[in-house]
Order: sequence, then structure tokens, then C-alpha cells
Amino acid sequence: MKAVPQELVIAVASGKGGTGKTSLAAHLALAGAARLRTILVDLDVEAPDSLAYFPEAIRVGRNCPVSLKVPFLIPESCSGCGACAKACHFGAIVALGGAVTIDQKLCKGCGRCVFLCPENALKERGIVVGQTRLMKSGSLDILEGRMDVGDIRSTSVIEAAKTRAASLKKEVQVRDCPPGVSCPATHAVEGADYVVLVAEPTAFSLHDLSAAISLVKGQGLKAGVVINKYGFGDADIESLCREKALPVIGRIEFKRKRASSGASGKLWTDDGSYMQKIDEILKRIVHAVETDEGELG
Amino acid sequence: MTITVASGKGGAGKTSLAAALAASVGSSCIVADCDVDAANGAIALHARLRESGPYFAGPGYRIEPSLCIGCGRCMPACRFNAIRTDKTRRTYLIAEELCERCGACTDHCPVDAIQGFTKEAGRLSVSDCPLGMTLIHAELVPGEDTSGKLVNQVRRRADTINPGNAIIIVDAPPGIGCPVIASLSGADIVLLVVDSTISGLRDSLRLSELAAGMDKRIIAIINKTGLDEEIDNKIRVAMTQSSIPVMGEIPFDPLLRSVEEKDLTWIDVAGEAGLKAKAAVRAVLEYAQMQMIY
Repeated sequence: MKAVPQELVIAVASGKGGTGKTSLAAHLALAGAARLRTILVDLDVEAPDSLAYFPEAIRVGRNCPVSLKVPFLIPESCSGCGACAKACHFGAIVALGGAVTIDQKLCKGCGRCVFLCPENALKERGIVVGQTRLMKSGSLDILEGRMDVGDIRSTSVIEAAKTRAASLKKEVQVRDCPPGVSCPATHAVEGADYVVLVAEPTAFSLHDLSAAISLVKGQGLKAGVVINKYGFGDADIESLCREKALPVIGRIEFKRKRASSGASGKLWTDDGSYMQKIDEILKRIVHAVETDEGELG
Repeated sequence: MTITVASGKGGAGKTSLAAALAASVGSSCIVADCDVDAANGAIALHARLRESGPYFAGPGYRIEPSLCIGCGRCMPACRFNAIRTDKTRRTYLIAEELCERCGACTDHCPVDAIQGFTKEAGRLSVSDCPLGMTLIHAELVPGEDTSGKLVNQVRRRADTINPGNAIIIVDAPPGIGCPVIASLSGADIVLLVVDSTISGLRDSLRLSELAAGMDKRIIAIINKTGLDEEIDNKIRVAMTQSSIPVMGEIPFDPLLRSVEEKDLTWIDVAGEAGLKAKAAVRAVLEYAQMQMIY
């Protein structure tokens, strides 16, 4: 038996978008909140929609800006040597003919240029790239990370939301992760005790699930698959899971009625058979974290 | 003429709609699948691989254990908390999933134990489709972090093989981050696919704000209507308020989904959904032709 972590962190992810991550995360969080202090963390900071399911949620605490230290130039001190431009891996600094130009939009705030400038000609100031806001719906806390439109630093917002969520010291944390398998998804699942991969039985989802499995395997995370919209198509998700030795921890059948009420952001808490499935999935996750189930080779 | 199909939300129908658009344009069309995280264009268009080459991202970093003296100077240098140590504080390693690849740690290591490495981070491919069009697509190795750069390469390849007057259809990834910006840049028209749900509306408004900020011409197709009339109406109103012309509405129908498995696209589907998809796609192309004339 492994020790149960103080805070159980469940990341709900998928390769393909639109498979049902947000709704599954919302209901898993509600099931958790029925017994334990639970927080739902929306880490899909480019398209945060968890709060659409909780229109009655009220704000608790401040909205915290996510800021990043970026360099600016003291032109009098600059010798135009170009050491800063050479050091920047993000193409945010151009040094041409002794003139240094900084594009703060491309800067990731690593501070390397500031450290390497021999003339101390670069100073830093904070710029805002997004925000986190904390809401409450009944006993459930909801933390939303939101990147500003036009920005590209989603990972900074994701890390800020993870840090704020951890500081609240809940018993259960359910993360709604962004789609894909590149940096935003990587950051969102990092540090999770368990990753729930949501798939649907379509050819697209089958293909993208395979990539998502590689992502969680690469990070050495425990994972299981929930097949959502079961019966909606006939792509063989189960075979892929067997082949990759990943447990299917839930099957949620497709119902047009559910799709209709979900479209308007209504929760399905009245749907007894659905909530029972969610409870079972949560139990499977807790069991897996306590034991070695879902361990990826 | 470049038309970028985008939505903000995932699963709105971007890829299927891009395939339907391509099928309507015909064999002269070039499709650039820029969703390099979840590349489904080849499935939607039943593409056969013509050529494929490796894609190398910028350097990643690793601490060579045999050289590391355990001084720990790299750790505070990393602003992304990507450097880890154990209780003994003797060995340090870089958590690849948190590393932003800035190289700041290398400036602080007194013994040059941190070394850059390049590895294959994906593949860029050109494929032929049974309907005659050419597909440029790419697949990122899961966990790699330079999808924006790879999208730029897909775009550049599509431009290179363009004889000059072809219609290029770009299938954008979900979200509004760097790979999306790379998919929108250079687009003559942004086709917004609005998933007819509350999330679809929210995400498409963020995407249209981004596209408007880039001075793009935006048109929309509302997908999966008929699930909730109130939401359908809300979206129609929101599009009018944002001055985004709606080229058509496609009702929710599982029949549309099933064409993924056959050698067809949405415009081949019998029944109301297929007819509406066909009409919407035709309206988009007529709009594009008008833009080309003026």
C-alpha cells in the first residue's frame, strides 16, 4: 500500500478537444465536494469554460493578476554588444547595428539577458499575462486560470493557477486541462497523482488518445481512460487501452438529451445513473492512487 | 487565398469542416493541418503519405551526472522551478516537462555540466488525398513544446508548393495561444466554427477577439445547432453584435460524425445536416471568391 497524498490531484485531460473534459471534471469535483474539501481548477487557460457550468458561483478572494518579469532597456547604459540577443532563445531581442529592440510579447521572463548584460543596461518590470480568480459554488471551490487574449504565455498562467490552488490546501484537486500534447497540456498534468484521459469512440479521438497516452507515460504518471459518448461511434478505444495496458475506468453512454442540456452548461446532478458512474470513477481513481493500479511501464 | 478554420474550443468540427471545404474546392486545393498536437487531417481526408521529414526543435538541456559537482547554483537561476534535487542535495536534474529551454541554468554552472541537446521533436509530412488535393501535416512528439514553430513550418511548406493561385485551407488547433496565432497569421479569411454550446460561444468570442486584433476578416459557421434553441439564438445574436457574417448553420447529427470512417466528407452526407453543410461550405467559397475579385 502506498501512502495517500495529503491532497489528491486528479488531472482530466485528452489529446482531442471536445471529448468532454470540462463536464467530466466539473462532475468529478462535485462528487469529491460531497465528502471532502475539493477544488476544481480550470487550467485550460486559453479557453476556460469550467465556470460556465456554475453560473451561480460567487467570487471569494481577489482576482490575482499573473505577472511576469520582462526586461526593458536603459539606452544610456547599452553598448550595443548584442549579448542579450544572442542569449535569448525566444527571439524576443534583436540587436542590429548596435541598436537593441525588445519584443516583450515574445519574452518568457527567464531573466537570462538581464544576467548576461555586461553593462547592466537591462532592468525588469512586471507585465500581466493573465489572471486567476477564485469562486465558490456551494461547498466546491473553483479556481480559474485565464490567459489574456493575444498573449502566448499560457504556461505562466497555468503554473500560477497550480501554485494558487496548492496554497489553498484542499483534500481533492480536480484539474480541467487543455487539449493537445504540447506545453500547456504538459504543464497542466505535471504533478498530478492521477490523469483521467477522456476519449470518445471516434477515429479522431482514437488517434489523439494515443498521443495523450505517450505524454502521460513520458511523465511517469498514473492514468486511466474514461470513454465518453459511448455508442456515439465505433472506433475501438478499448483495444487501444488494452494494448497500452491502461485501464478503462468508466464508460458514459451517449444520450442526445444529455448533449442538449450540456450545451447550455446545465449540470447533470439530477441524473442518478450518471452521478453513480461519476462516483464509481472517483472511487477507481482513489483506489488506483492508493495501490499500483494504472502504473504505466 | 488562405482560409484558416479556427474555433477556440476543441471538438467544434474544425477538421471535418476543413475537409468538406477542401472537397468542395477540389484537386487544386492545398490543406495545411496546423493542429500538430492532434493531427486528424490525414484521417479526415484519407491521405496517403508522399514524403516525410524530421522536425528538430531548439535545444533542450540536461545535467550530466558525471560532471555535476552538486553546488546547486543552477536551481535559483531557473525561474520555472524546473530543476530538482533530492534530500542529499548532491544530485540535480532538469524536469523536462517544466523546462522552458531558456538556457539560464547553463550561465550559472561552474563546471559546464549542463549540456544542450537537440532531438527529433516531430515530423513534417506531405500527403496525397484520393480527392486530388495535397495535404501538409505534422505531428509533434507528445511532450515537446514548440508547436508554434512547427506550425510555421507547415505554413511555409504549404506556401512553397502553392503554384500561385491555389486556395490554401488551414486547419487551426484549439485555443488562442502561439500555434493558433501562427495559424491565423497570413490568413485572408478566418472561418470561425462555433460549437453551438455555451462553451463554444465563450471560446469563439475569445478567438474572434484575437483574430480581430490581427485585423482579420472573420466569417462563421454555427455547428451542432438544434441541441438547445436558446443557445442557438444567443450565438446568432452574438455573431450579429460582433459583425461576423454567418455563412450557415449545421444541425447536430450523428450521421456527420460517421463519415470520418468512410471515404467521404460532410458534403456527401444525405439528409438535412449534409445539405446544410454543403450550403454553408458553398457560401464560404462564394464569399472567398468575392474577396479575391475585390
